Amino acid sequence: MVLEATMICIDNSEWTRNGDYSPNRFQAQADAVNLICGAKTQSNPENTVGVMTMAGKGVRVLVTPTSDLGKILACMHGLEIGGEMNLAAAIQVAQLALKHRQNKKQQQRIIVFAGSPIKHDKKQLEMIGRKLKKNSVALDIVDYGEEDDGKPEKLEALLGAVNNNDTSHIVHVPSGQNALSDVLISTPIFTGDGEGGSGFAAAAAAAAAGGVSGFDLGVDPNLDPELALALRVSMEEERARQEAAAKKAAEEAAKQEKGGEHTSSQDVTMTEGASASASGVEDKKEDLMDDENALLQRALAMSMDDTTSSHREQRDTEMSDASAEDPDLALALQLSVQESGKDSSGQTEMTKLLADQSFVSSILASLPGVDPNDPSVKELLASMQNQAEKKEEPKEPKEDEKK
Amino acid sequence: MAAESATAIQRSQVDLSDCVDWSGVECLNQSSSHSLVNALKQGYREDDGLFLESDADEQLLIYIPFNQVVKLHSIVIKGPEEEGPKTIKLYSNREHMGFSNVNDFPPSDSTVLSEENLKGKPVILKYVKFQNVRSLTIFIEDNQSAGDITKVQKIALFGTTVETTDMKGLKKVEDH
Repeated sequence: MVLEATMICIDNSEWTRNGDYSPNRFQAQADAVNLICGAKTQSNPENTVGVMTMAGKGVRVLVTPTSDLGKILACMHGLEIGGEMNLAAAIQVAQLALKHRQNKKQQQRIIVFAGSPIKHDKKQLEMIGRKLKKNSVALDIVDYGEEDDGKPEKLEALLGAVNNNDTSHIVHVPSGQNALSDVLISTPIFTGDGEGGSGFAAAAAAAAAGGVSGFDLGVDPNLDPELALALRVSMEEERARQEAAAKKAAEEAAKQEKGGEHTSSQDVTMTEGASASASGVEDKKEDLMDDENALLQRALAMSMDDTTSSHREQRDTEMSDASAEDPDLALALQLSVQESGKDSSGQTEMTKLLADQSFVSSILASLPGVDPNDPSVKELLASMQNQAEKKEEPKEPKEDEKK
Repeated sequence: MAAESATAIQRSQVDLSDCVDWSGVECLNQSSSHSLVNALKQGYREDDGLFLESDADEQLLIYIPFNQVVKLHSIVIKGPEEEGPKTIKLYSNREHMGFSNVNDFPPSDSTVLSEENLKGKPVILKYVKFQNVRSLTIFIEDNQSAGDITKVQKIALFGTTVETTDMKGLKKVEDH
């Protein structure tokens, strides 16, 4: 939400007739300019944007910095292509236009679309850059179009001279499939140094992707941005927590071999906590159920593994799931397996609890994403009970730790 | 003459740092790590290790607005021997100047700092030109060694206030 006055310098030289960007360089540039104007005015209503041409008959200011989006879009019509770009003069004129902005509290920024080759040399550009820095003007450069020898280096030198605390940026856009505006949307030029504008960018990206398919949360960010943001945040939180839960399950299983911890109960509380943060969107719920089933199965299977040597192979195959993802974890698991092989603690109270089907089903019922009548869950419960019964026979139950 | 001016400061002149409107203070071409605060604010400026430094070249443009009208009597500018400022131009009541228009109008006062000034000896200004000052712009044109970086350790302004209403101090009177 930085208060900013921006001058956009458009390249309308002969080089922009080229069709290597669709439909041609000039049109791609115009689309990008429209998007940028929208983003700037949306991120802060007091922002002003001005537009000027660098080539054609000469450097010309089309519209002085204004917050009226209509005026800016209108001036883009009927622009003629021709002539050669004059970067130095253009930047000077842009600086002058910014100097006479009405609201002196606005930060000054120039955005340059460099489509044609640069005829100035590095030293000149560096001097220009230093002058901009001295007057605290930020500069964004879009390097596209003509790929000249040394053009990227010259523009990088210019950026280096201007840049003060990363307020200036450069983007190199190669020609190809992607539209110029699409590439720019994800850059800091659009997102404004990572502050706001993400809402607008997300909506624009969705529109570019083509209709409703872009709104993966089922909510139009334009219609209800707060809900969309809340959904997005809780989705990310959910994913992060699931990953943490999975990782912790593998670690806890390793710890359990040393003599019993309540992995499953911890797992359950974690997945409960994770699902508590999820909002009630319908398709999200289904995803949750699948994820949680798989997660729960793995966790329970791992915690079911006993410490005796007879089950070591089974344990190893279970562990290999986790170790496939994390070689460090695999090493730790192996070490703990070797250590605990000596310990024949046998049946732990934890597995007894698991054997108690009613307890397990009550836990599962309390998880919002899991349906206890789901056949896969029922299967799992049955298999667990069998395992518990098998273990009950050879070993005596040991009342170690309380829950 | 020097002794008289020294006592003149003690007599009626006050340090005007209380009258500075900090929200509007600006400095062009300052380095981001060494900013104007180091030279202007009470605690920072006493420390000679903290200084204001120029960035792209040796010039600095400092804009100081006041929250009331003041009369400016003298100024103290401290800096290191080599990189301290040399030629100073002062402009009163000019808003938002840039490096390009410093030469457009004559300064209210200008001075060349000597070594003694850089050690803390105050520079007496043309009092008549600074009778009604709302804002002060200090343009540091070059430094002692003509190098690329100018460093300023302390800037202190001395003068008196003119009775004006401080709008922030106005409080609403309760109706009984």
